[in-house]
Amino acid sequence: MRIKDHPILDFPQGKKVTFYFEDQVLEGYEGEPIAAALHDAGIRVLRESQVLHRPRGFFCAIGNCSSCLMVVDGVPNVRVCVEKLRAGMTVRRQKGKGDLFASN
Amino acid sequence: MLDLADAVIIGGGINGLSVAYNLARLGLRKVRVLEKNYLASGATGRCGAGVRQQWGTEMNISLARASIKKFEVMNDELGYYRDIEFKQKGYLMLAYTGKQLEQFQKNVVLQRSLGVPVSLITPAEAGGIVPHLNTEGLLGATFCPEDGHVNPFHAAEAYALAAKRLGVEIHPFTEVQAILVEDGRVRGVLTAAGTVATPIVVNTAGGYSAEVSRMAGVEIPTYSERHQILVTEPVEPLQGPMVISFYHGIYCQQTPHGSFIMGQGDPNEPKGHDLGHSWQFLTEVARKVTWLLPPLKGLRLVRQWSGSYNMTPDAQPIIGEAAEVKGFFLAVGFSGHGFMLAPMTGQLLAEKILGLPTTLPIDMLGLERFARGELIREPSVV
Repeated sequence: MRIKDHPILDFPQGKKVTFYFEDQVLEGYEGEPIAAALHDAGIRVLRESQVLHRPRGFFCAIGNCSSCLMVVDGVPNVRVCVEKLRAGMTVRRQKGKGDLFASN
Repeated sequence: MLDLADAVIIGGGINGLSVAYNLARLGLRKVRVLEKNYLASGATGRCGAGVRQQWGTEMNISLARASIKKFEVMNDELGYYRDIEFKQKGYLMLAYTGKQLEQFQKNVVLQRSLGVPVSLITPAEAGGIVPHLNTEGLLGATFCPEDGHVNPFHAAEAYALAAKRLGVEIHPFTEVQAILVEDGRVRGVLTAAGTVATPIVVNTAGGYSAEVSRMAGVEIPTYSERHQILVTEPVEPLQGPMVISFYHGIYCQQTPHGSFIMGQGDPNEPKGHDLGHSWQFLTEVARKVTWLLPPLKGLRLVRQWSGSYNMTPDAQPIIGEAAEVKGFFLAVGFSGHGFMLAPMTGQLLAEKILGLPTTLPIDMLGLERFARGELIREPSVV
C-alpha cells in the first residue's frame, strides 16, 4: 500500500530500483524510506522482540521507537523508517540485539 | 514522620542505604534515611557501574576486594527479588608509558600480596582477552578476571528493600535543612516535614557532603567535580572486560544488557554541582574509544549525562566520626569509586557507629588525617 495523494505532503518519486528482503527481490523508489518500500510490498513484520521473540512492525515512523530495527547490508540496528532505499540493498529481519562483528 | 530516631542517614544513595541496612542488621532499631531527591538520584545512579580491585593503595584494594566478595552473594544476602547484574568478566587496564607500566608493576605486587588474582600481561595477551582491542603503542596491561560490572540501580534497590524489611524508614524527597548540635553532640535534624531527634547523624550525601557537614559545623576538605558519561544502544555481547586507559583518560565496558557505558576523566571539567554535559565530550570520547576499540564505531549513542565525583585531597574516602561533633559520622569523598566500595563502607561504618570492632581497619580514613598531613594518595583514578 502506498499513499499517492496527500493533502499537504508531496512524495517526489526517485527511479524504480530493486533490493533484497530475506530471499525475495522487491522493488521500491530510490531515496524513499526502506520501510515505505517494504510496506508497499506487504511486509508487516520487520524484526522480533529481544526477550519474548514476538513480531515487531512499522510503528513510530520517525526514527524514535526502535520497532523497525533491521539488518541492512550486514549492519544491525538500522532504523529502516528513516534510512533511504538504494538499489541492491540487502534487508533482513533482525533477531536479537544485533551482532557488531557481523558487519565488519 | 516520627520525631525520634536512633540514627538518621542523610543521602539515599548506595552508601546511605548500605549503612542503613547494616545498622539495622546489627540491631539498631529506628534507622531513618532522608533523601532530598529519589533513591540513587545522585552519583550512584550516574556512575559507570564498574567494580574493580585494581587499586594502588592497600586501603582501596582491601575495601574493594571485600566488597566484591559481597557483590558475589548479594542477591542472596539481601534476598533481592531481581538480579544486581554482577558480571565478572574482568578489568583490563592499559599502560602506554613507562611510568604507567612502573606504577602497574607496583600495584600488581601490592594487589597480589592482598590476594587479588591480577596479572601483568603483554600487549599480545591483552589482545587475546579483548580481540577487538587496538594494541598499537600499548606497552603492557594488567588484568583481573574477578572485577566487572554491577547495576547501580538494582544494587541500591536491593539494599533499600532489605533495609525496609529490617524496619528502616526511607524518606525520599525529604531534604535536611539543618542539623541540630548542642554541647558538641548531635541532637537531631530539621526537615520541612518536621524535626527528628537523634543521637546519630550519618553524612552519606555524596556530591553534597561538604554542605551537609557544614550544617553540623564540621568543615571537610571535599569538593565535587563533574564527570561525563554516555551509553550506547545494546548489541549482542562482544566485550567481556571493562577497558581502562589512564593515558587516554577513558573507560569503556559493555553491560549485561548489551549497551556500552563509557566516560572520561577531564581536568577541565568544572568543580561544583554543575550536572550539564557537552558535545565536546561526545566527540572526544568517540574519537578515543573508536581508536582503542574500532568495532564500536558502528554503535549509536542513546544518552549522555554527568555526575559528581566527590573528591578528597588524596582521592581516598573519609569514613569515621567527626572529632568535634560526637555522633556525626561521615562516609564521603569517595573520589569516583564510592559505588564499588559501598558493601564494605556500610558494614564498616555501621560497626564503627555501634562501637563494635571493625572487620577491616578504617581509622586511617578518619577526617583528622588531613590536619595531621597523613594523606594516603590513590594513584589509579580515572
